[in-house]
Parts: sequence; C-alpha cells; structure tokens
Amino acid sequence: MRAFGYARPADAGEAAALLRAGARAMGGGTDLLTQLDRGILPADEVVDLRALGLSGIEHDGGGVRIGATTSVADVERDAGIGERFPGLRQAAGAVGSPQLREMGTVGGNLCQQVRCWYFRHPDLQCWLRGGETCYAQIGDHRKHGLEPGDCISVAPSDLAAALLVLDAEVETTGRRMPLADLYRKATAERRSTLVLEPGEFLTAVEVPRAPDASTYVIAGERAAWSFALVGVAAARFGDDVRMAAIGVSNLPRPLDPDDPAAGLPGLEMTRWKRRLLETLASDARAAVGR
Amino acid sequence: MTAKLVKTEAVVEGRTEVRWTLVEEDDTPEFEDGAPTRPVGEPTPRISARARTTGSARYTVDVALPGLLEAVVLRSPHANARVTSLDLDAARAVPGVRCVLGPGEGPEHAGSPLTDAPAFAGAAIAVVAADTPDAAEAGVAALAPEYEVLGFVSTIDDGFEKQDFLEEPTEHVRGDPDAALSAAEVTVEASYAVPAQLHNSLEPHAAVADWREDGLTVWSSTQAIFDARSTIADAFGLEPDQVRIICEFMGGGFGSKFGVGPQGLLAAELSRRARRPVRLVNSRREENLAAGFRTPAKMDYTIGASRDGRLEAVEATAMIGMGTGGWPFPVLEPVKSVYACPNLRLMTAPVRMNLGPSAAFRAPGVMEGTFGFEQALDELAEKVGIDPIEIRRLNHTENDPESGKPYTSKGLLKAYERAAELAGWEGRDGLRGDGRVRRGMGVASQYWWGAGGPPAYAEVRIGKSARPTVTVGLQDLGTGTMTACAVIASERLGIPAGEITVHAGDTSRIGHGPASGGSMTLASIAPAVRMAAHSVRTDILGLAADMFEIAASDLTLEDGEIRSVDGTLREPVTEVTGKLGNAWISGSGSRGPNPDGMNVNTFGCQIAQIAVDTGTGAVTVERVVAVHDIGRVVNPMGARSQVMGGVLQAIGFALMEERVVDPTTGTVVNAGLEDYKVPTIADVPEVVCEFVGDPDPHLRMGVKGLGEPPIIPTAAAIGNALAHALGVRLREAPYTPRRVLEALGA
Amino acid sequence: MQVRLTINGQPHELDVAPHRSLADVLRTDLAMTGTKVACAEGTCGSCTVLLDGRAVLSCLTFASACDSSKVATVEGSTPLLERLRDAFTAHDGFQCGFCTPGQLMSAVALLQRTPRPSRAEIRTAMAGNLCRCGAYEGIEQAVAAAAEAG
Repeated sequence: MRAFGYARPADAGEAAALLRAGARAMGGGTDLLTQLDRGILPADEVVDLRALGLSGIEHDGGGVRIGATTSVADVERDAGIGERFPGLRQAAGAVGSPQLREMGTVGGNLCQQVRCWYFRHPDLQCWLRGGETCYAQIGDHRKHGLEPGDCISVAPSDLAAALLVLDAEVETTGRRMPLADLYRKATAERRSTLVLEPGEFLTAVEVPRAPDASTYVIAGERAAWSFALVGVAAARFGDDVRMAAIGVSNLPRPLDPDDPAAGLPGLEMTRWKRRLLETLASDARAAVGR
Repeated sequence: MTAKLVKTEAVVEGRTEVRWTLVEEDDTPEFEDGAPTRPVGEPTPRISARARTTGSARYTVDVALPGLLEAVVLRSPHANARVTSLDLDAARAVPGVRCVLGPGEGPEHAGSPLTDAPAFAGAAIAVVAADTPDAAEAGVAALAPEYEVLGFVSTIDDGFEKQDFLEEPTEHVRGDPDAALSAAEVTVEASYAVPAQLHNSLEPHAAVADWREDGLTVWSSTQAIFDARSTIADAFGLEPDQVRIICEFMGGGFGSKFGVGPQGLLAAELSRRARRPVRLVNSRREENLAAGFRTPAKMDYTIGASRDGRLEAVEATAMIGMGTGGWPFPVLEPVKSVYACPNLRLMTAPVRMNLGPSAAFRAPGVMEGTFGFEQALDELAEKVGIDPIEIRRLNHTENDPESGKPYTSKGLLKAYERAAELAGWEGRDGLRGDGRVRRGMGVASQYWWGAGGPPAYAEVRIGKSARPTVTVGLQDLGTGTMTACAVIASERLGIPAGEITVHAGDTSRIGHGPASGGSMTLASIAPAVRMAAHSVRTDILGLAADMFEIAASDLTLEDGEIRSVDGTLREPVTEVTGKLGNAWISGSGSRGPNPDGMNVNTFGCQIAQIAVDTGTGAVTVERVVAVHDIGRVVNPMGARSQVMGGVLQAIGFALMEERVVDPTTGTVVNAGLEDYKVPTIADVPEVVCEFVGDPDPHLRMGVKGLGEPPIIPTAAAIGNALAHALGVRLREAPYTPRRVLEALGA
Repeated sequence: MQVRLTINGQPHELDVAPHRSLADVLRTDLAMTGTKVACAEGTCGSCTVLLDGRAVLSCLTFASACDSSKVATVEGSTPLLERLRDAFTAHDGFQCGFCTPGQLMSAVALLQRTPRPSRAEIRTAMAGNLCRCGAYEGIEQAVAAAAEAG
C-alpha cells in the first residue's frame, strides 16, 4: 500500500475540514484503498468517517433511517428491513462478498466508483480519470453499459438501485436531496458521477415509507461474489411500480417498467445485456405483482 | 543391496524423455489378490492437517530471516516497447534501498530475467531490494522509466497472419488422410476456441534467497525442488551440493511453478550482491501478467467417418497463442491417441504474441484439445444419428493407435458403463424441458499419461520410540503426496500413518524425487517408499525373530505390534526398537523402470448435467459424474479431493475464466481476481466420483497418476451438455451469459 | 501511530505507520504468518480475520483503524476453532492450505452468529473465500459437521 496519512476524527466539522483540504473520505475502505493503491485516486490523507457516530438503523413510522457508516451486513441482517423492505435486504445481500459486506458502509456503497476495467487499470488514464480516451468504447466493453455517452462504465451500487425505487433521500453534511440527485453524468469539466462538493459527505439515507412489495434481482458472473452484470430493483406502491437498474449506465438508472431497455441501445459487444435487462425486469415485475 | 544403472523412458506431459538412472534391486513383494492392503486404499486424513489449520505451516512467502530485504520489480506497462531511459542511480539513492539490478543484469551464467526490450505488459525491467517494502516501492518509483512504444500482437489471428511463430509449425501424418477424407461417407467440420486460463495459485510465485560464504539457500514456492536446484547451480556456476532448495509448504502451482523461476534467480543475485537475505513475492497482478497461463487455442477439425460412425480420417489444425515463451502443448493429442483412426493430419502452429510466457496448466494442451475434439465427435454422432457414448465405444482402441503398443491397463470401456449408470444417461432426453430453463447431459472421454518413473528415491527410518520417518526428495504442492507416502509406509510397518513423519521439500536431505506435475509424482515415488519401508520391516522382523525365537516368515507387523501369524505372540514393536538406543534401522528404496514395449496411460469418462436459463444466459453445472482408471488408489480421500479440484477448475474454464486483452493497448484488463473470475463455493456441483481401474499389473504397486485426469474431460462434457440442452452449439469457451444469450440471438 | 489491540486474547501495543494494513502488521511486526495475503486487494478472502467478531479482510483494514479492537486469527485457540480444525481435517477441507486460515475465520464468524446454518447459508457465508485447489466440498461438509458437533 502506498504511504498516506490517516485521520479518524470524532467531529464532523473536523472531518469536513480535512476533506476540504484534499483528503479522501473513507467508510469501510474497500473501494477506496484499492483505488489508492493503484494510483487511480492519489491522496495524501484518508479521513475515516466511522468515529462520527453515523452508524445505526432507526425505524420510525413507516420509514427507515440508515446512518451512512452502517455496515452493509447490518442492513442485510436488520429484521425490520427484511420485513418491510425485502428488496433492500436482497440488495444488501447481493453486495460483494460476506467480508466486503461486513466492512463496507452504506454511504461508501452509494458513493463507490464506477466499475470499468479501464478505469481501474493502473497503467491507463481513461477519460473519467481526466484523460482523453474512453478506452472501453474503442476496446473491450463486453461488460459495459448500454447508455451512450463519454464514459460507458457501469454504476455498481446494488443499494442505490434498491433505494432509488423506494424514493430514498440522502442527507449530507450540508443538505438533503433525493438519492437520484446524488448522481449526475460526468462532464468534460467535472469528471465525477457524484454531486458532492469538497468537504461534503453522506450522513444518512432515509426511506420515507415502506412499499407494498419490493425486490432486487441480480445476474452476476458466477453464483456468488460478483458485481452485477445487471441488477434490477422494483417496488410497488399500490398500482405504481417503480424500477431501477445498475450495470447498464454509469449512474444508477430509473427504468420504465413497461419498456425497461428504452434509451439503452448498447454497442455490438453489449447488446446481449439488453436481453438480460429485459429478463430481470420481467422477473422483478413479476415478484412485486401487478 | 545392489544398485545398477538402467535406461528408461518416461512420458512427461506428452514429451518422451530417455533417462539413465540408478536403481536398486527391489524384492518387495507385491500385494496379493484379495489380501488386505490397509491402510492403502482406505481414506486417510492429511498428516499435515494440524499445521495447515493452526497457521503454523510455513510457506515460502512466510519465510522471514534476520536482515531480510524485500524486493520489488519494475514491470513494463506497454505490450511492446524499448526502455529509453531508466535512472538506476536514483533508485540506489533512495533511503533503505540496498541493491538495484537493471536490464541485462542477473546471474552470471544465465540469461537475465530483466530486459530493456519488454515484449509484453508485465515484462520485468529492473528490481529493487530494500529494507522494507515501502522503500523498495520508492526505489522502483525513482527509476522513472521512459519508453519508446512499439506495435504489438495480441491475438492468435494477428500473430498467424504475421507468420510469427515461437517454434516452427509442425505437421504429423498417419496413413493417407487426403484419400480417406475424400472417400469418407460422412464428413463433419467443426471449429472451437478457448481463451487463456490464468493459474492464480493462491500463494504467488515467491522466493527467499540467502547467499552465504558456504553456499546458497533458496526457499522457493516450486513444484520441482531438484529442477530448481540445478537451475540455480548452473546460473551461478555453483556445484549442486552448494545449493539447498527448501519448499516446506506450497500454496498451489497447477503447472506454473516448475523450477525456481525469475523470482529465485533475482532473489539469489540480489542476495549475492547485498550480502543479505532477500525475499521476492509476486503481487496478484504480476501473477496474472507474467507468471504463465494456459495457452489460448483455435482448433479446426475435419472428420471423415463411415455412415455408422467409425472414424476414417481426421484433419486437425491447432493455432496456439504461446505469448513470449513456453512449449507447444499437445493440443491435438486427443485426436492422435484417444480413438482408433487410421488416417490423420495434425498441424500445430505455436504463435508468438506480446503476452507473457505461457506455462503448463494442469493437463496443458490435452484439456483444451479435449474440449474441441470431444465436442466435434458429438457433432459426428449427431450427424450419423448415434448415441454419444456409443460412438465412443465404437471407436475404442485396445492399442495405442500411433505406435500399436498395448497399454499396461485400460479401464475406459468400464468407465463409460459405470458413468452412464451413475448419471442416468438413458433418461437424458427427458431432462431437457421446453421452458425458460433447459437441461442437458453431455459426455467426454479422458486420456492422459501418468506412469511416473525413475529417478525417485526414498528413505525410511525407525528408532527407539517406533515413530518412523519417511524422507523423499519431492515437494507437496497441496495434492497430498506426503500423506500418501505415510500411508504406503504404514502398510509395511504396521504403524498408523498419523504417527509417521514425512520429510520432503528439502534438497539437502535425500536424492532426487519427482517434480509435482504430469500426474507423475505418486506413481514415481510410491514404489520407492514401499521398498524402503519393506526393508525396514524386514530388519525389524529379523530382529524380532531372534528375540522371540520365531521364524521371521511367521511374523507380521500390525497396529504397532509384532504378531505371530498363529496369534500366540503380540508384542509392541517398541520391544524391538526400544533396544536400538541411539541407533536406528533405515531402509532405502528407488523407483524401477517402466515396462518396455507398453504404454502407460490413465483413462476415464465424465458426464456433466447442466441447467441453462435462456433468459439470463446463466449456465449452472448441476452434477458431474467422474469415473477414472488410475490404477490402484492409495488414499481415496485425497483422490476424491483431486477429482473435486480438477472438476472445479474445469468448471471455471468452461463457464467464467478468460484472460481479456485490450485490443488497443495489448494489456491485460482483468489481471486480478475481481474481473478474472474463478469458482466460489457456491459454484460447486454434486460430484459423483468413482475409480474403476484395477491396480496396473505392469507397474510396481499398480499406481498410476491422478493430478491431471479429472480436469481433462469436464469442460468438453459441459459443452456437449449445453448443446444437448439448447440444440445450439457454442464454439468458444467460456460459456458466459453473454455468449449464451448471443448464441440464442440476443 | 500507537495502536492497542487484543489479538487472540493477548494485549499488544504497537507503533505502526497509518497506511499499513492489519495483515502486514500481523505478519511482519508480530510474526503471525498464519494469516495469508494472496491478492492484497480484497478479492480472495485469504487474509480474513475477525475484528470485534466480524469477518473482515485484513489486507484492506488499516491496523491504525483497529485501536482498542479485538482481533482473532487462525493462531488462536477456542473450542469452536478447534472443532472446525478437526472437521476440516476429517472432511479434507483443504489441499494446499493457503486459503485455510481465511476459510476457518469465515467459518468461525458464521457459526458464532448462526450456530446451525443451512447448507445454503454456509455457501453464502463462505463465498468470499476463494480456494483455487477446489476443496469447497470438504469445506462445506466441515462447516456443517462442526456446527453439528457444537
């Protein structure tokens, strides 16, 4: 591991100050440390957010509030979530490996970097990393996204898909917003898929009410411990079915339940993923009824 | 005991070697029919289990010596380049850095493992040894290399087009294939492709070298301690006796760790210069870029047959993606050797590519070639309308089709019969279904060598406390060879295997033992261990005969006791050994030659049952029936584990494992275990495993090898099962959701 | 940084650079080489240890982030770990053994939380520990047997 400093402040203001000074925010560290080690994200200092008292799951009324540094495994094991938000529990269970679920935090999971073997290649500097080229589009993109754009990497957060269909909101150090607004397309000027400003970090995610039914279905490259090739979440509130997917775009993406592959044409090497998306969308829809 | 030099042939992964070896006369009696062989043939847990489950087992990566330096290698980020600038002095000036080697430097009498003309991404350019890993990394960073980037070849097709071969392509002809093909009643043309499979032994390639005035010691994660020793000795101009190779525990190799590797050569040279012990361990990424791979191959077959399915002629071409090194693995061996076929033309083209050097990987060549040919054979079966097992029986051969020599034993027909029974082959068409999930069942045959051979030596000692030691000059890469040695000695000595200590993995203890590879290890060492143990038994019983005044021929050793056959005497063996004081009884054994004029091979057959979700493209292997003829089974527990391991690595090959090379930069994009998927516990099917071979009547102890056989037919059987399920044949492995959905028209 | 750890019940006080992993500190500073590092990037599970009862990857865990924590490694000795050792031996739950320390620690974490897991639960809980030799069948049987014996 390359050398860098480490701070574990107990005060959010101190953490924010360190982050404004250029430090990297860390939850479980499972995504961050591999990026630091490969030189994808250079950093002199890492700020561990786990001593800020941001862990915990609170059920109140119909909703649930999950602290940003709550581990993914604790979400998966929470009885209330399992009962009222089965799609969220399934998504938590689909994250990485058992050890990564124990270490990984909800905030870190929502803010993790895109998956792309060029983005994570130690010797290449792709467009999203500030370079000139999206290597994936001229190279081997068999597992990449279906949405045209400057970058065809894929958003990997299973939790994001499950929370999007629940109308979740995220709370940061400075504001509150719908989860969907946490993400935006990277631009030439700003090569990031998150809207967070320097010094800003997630403190909690809140789901306002429980759906009548919810589910999360994933297709991976093996039976377990695989980032989703495609993951589809669905929730039904009365007659209203919401759907979202990961693995198809570099943002967690809402889908039209009646036409899930709309706007997702893919390239020649990824066209197969449209079929997969349609299958999973149909399975998800069947699971939530109507 | 008299020793003599004999000339013997051994087949090492398809290459015949002739060796002169010293063997002793072996008067060990063979097992008698029906007589007990205990504990040979009974399940025995690993003797090293405690060390492996407490963390005390010391692997090469765990070796820490006082003053140890850590070495880190600078590797090329480019697929083909020339190094135009490299600041070795800057690296030497980094605090904590003790030694730096640049391109061309290395052992005096060997080619340098370091180059300024890296021909693949991951090629080693320089190495830095320092007090800590951080200092070594800082030293590497200070090298600040600059490159002139050159064009590269990253695909088999491009390499073939450029006619850039690692070795000249070869052609092998039997009979008159042209005439036979044009006269054939039925012809089938079929093409198959397989990708590079990466070994990913969990212990990386590693070496710790300690150069001293009085000799060099190298801890090496190696499958062949004696090959490692001769490589090091030659490279540094030392006598073999001045070099000691140690490999106490080893974290897998699967063919990629023969010899001492560049790690050993570099660590030793760094230690020689720095006068400090040096450790060099590959990172996972380095493993996947520079430590070898199963060669990708493109295979084309034209099969000519009679209307009833008899093979008349096969013309086959294999283009093999060698990378920058390795030897052309016998991809077309299954065409040549598995079935009777009078006419053949086999062409093999080993293509050079700007990728690392290839390395043997469990059944190299033969597994890939089985994947292709066993599926092509199913295509013929379908065309002529006969059952896949029936067409294999129909083309069965009782003699080696190339040389005409008989086999020492062949249980293949029995394997087909048992496998079909165990799998429920008769009902296979009823499995398929017509919903979203389809099922299928497929078969494939297995052929491999596995005779082993000399030289292999063993020594058995017993002292006062009657806790014997067995010393062998081999290494156990995880297969359980050491446990099997204890089992074999136990049978002769009547002392439980768990009370026997096996010393291995150290060239200073005894003479040559076999490499761990080619399914040769146990078949080589087993008779030597038994011979040594028998000699000790004879001595113990001789002493007992004097002591108890009963003829030695009326005495036996069982359960730690000396017993008379009439049951009147039962005394602990320590009654005899206790008199030894500080002396001991020792016996030595050596492996004799293989029989002349006969071929020794292992055979088998596997049947795979799969389910495929036509909506997601996911293929699940539900059940594998594995029936093999490996001669006598020494330890059924270890043997079953070998089968499970082979089958599972083949499932990885069939369903998920594939090195992906970026076409625009020539670099590997999945050089880690996140994007290069290997099976997890959740991918394990039910495996039904049976051994049908009788002890081989022409080999001492009747033992043949098992390392390779189980991996060979699985992927082909899965391919045939998938075609059975879908009615569509996929021609390229692995069968990922992408390939399945594309084959279904997505 | 000064870090206080309780490892297998024994207190340790260490001075470690903040970027150093728990795996590195265990293996190098404490010579506890039972914990293995096979990928160093969180993909294989070989370095699994228990951190305050959770199975974590020690290659991606800063030692400096573990101050005041309890660490359990394969070198420890508890009745559950001994039961698992016996079961791994009896069911041949390893070949080369390099992944075994991590397998054992994941199994300990599972059985502490779920004393009688189903086969499916075993597969889920052990899926983060790769075994390239393919000893999974024995591992699954061993975990089930250790649970039975508990």
